[in-house]
Amino acid sequence: MRLEPLHLWFELGPGPLRSQVLAALARHGDPLRWAITAVETLEATGAGATDGPKGRRVRVEAVLLR
Amino acid sequence: MVIPTGIGCRIGGFAGDGLPSARLLAAASGCLITHPNVMNGAALYWSDPRIHYVEGWALDRFAAGDLALVPCRSQTVGVLLDAGMEPELRLRHLQVIDACRATLGLRIGPIVTTDEPLQVSLSQGPSGSSWGRLGRPQALLEAGECLRQAGATAIAVVARFPDDPLSGALADYRQGAGVDALAGAEAVISHLLGRHLGLPCAHAPALAPLPLDPALDPRAAAEEIGTTFLPCVLVGLSRAPGLWPLGPSAERPPEGALRSEQIGAIVVPAGALGGEAVLCCLERGVPVIAVEENVSVLEVTAERLGVEVLRAVSYAEAAGWVLALREGLDPQALRRPLRLVVPA
Repeated sequence: MRLEPLHLWFELGPGPLRSQVLAALARHGDPLRWAITAVETLEATGAGATDGPKGRRVRVEAVLLR
Repeated sequence: MVIPTGIGCRIGGFAGDGLPSARLLAAASGCLITHPNVMNGAALYWSDPRIHYVEGWALDRFAAGDLALVPCRSQTVGVLLDAGMEPELRLRHLQVIDACRATLGLRIGPIVTTDEPLQVSLSQGPSGSSWGRLGRPQALLEAGECLRQAGATAIAVVARFPDDPLSGALADYRQGAGVDALAGAEAVISHLLGRHLGLPCAHAPALAPLPLDPALDPRAAAEEIGTTFLPCVLVGLSRAPGLWPLGPSAERPPEGALRSEQIGAIVVPAGALGGEAVLCCLERGVPVIAVEENVSVLEVTAERLGVEVLRAVSYAEAAGWVLALREGLDPQALRRPLRLVVPA
């Protein structure tokens, strides 16, 4: 067994935040401890873009069991 | 009440300096569940039957509805000592155990030493929060299993942490700034053991004493008035609630057990809304009281996450919100302007 730190960014979709974080972490290992530690707002870009935020992406820091 | 560990909270980011706020919230709520980072003041502690001492992993599982908490009059606290401790440091911790038995009447023992040094190392995440690792996690788990088999119902871990008396981070911490560099590794240790054993666990770092600092910040002072950080952990665990797994095939918890459906509110620093317990509460519509005064290195706020919270400038205001919710008052009725009702 090893304890490995991990930090990752991913874009949030609609729906509950927690299940999205757990799904993102599960791709890397078994999370022992985690938290969202940063949030960025994504602006709409390109043709047809409207003013205002398009979405959010979050940074999660975690310690994984491997 | 959650004050996340190792993120440099202005209140509760030092040596149990969240404890006065916890006492206030306990009085306002009549029942407060919080974690060792809030309650542990090294040689200082406060025992209140309204406050339930629950380690972070178990607190998250409770909030998620995976565990119930079973209030307990007295735990049998096993002590897990890191083989990496020097003989004098080890003896000091054994004397703390004896002192808590003799002076406080706590039920402590068995005591087990790991087969090899745990090799704790400290690090920092990209946010500036403290993290850490264990070189020998298996040694921790094996010693924990020995304690459980020997009758321990709660476990205090004492791990040898690296001394770094000249580091800038430690100097900042002693002056009341920056992040507690030890806290992240402490949380990893107690999360790992609690999850493995399903018992209440908490951790005290073993460190060499520091030279006197005349400018020591009052919030950090509790860690420098004694030779170990263990007394508060033993006191906290001595009445920590038992952990009762919930699930379709699990037995019903005993009467009086606390369940997540009973959570009336969660109080958390306004910039630290990204932890699991908070996200669980948001999903279930439990009021989240965000304390703006308690700034940290994180800025995971309600605005950035796009969620609704009750804002409180201070813990005193948060206690007012708790009292209002407890009395069944609509928080909107306490704010102005009060908007007109809009028929559907």
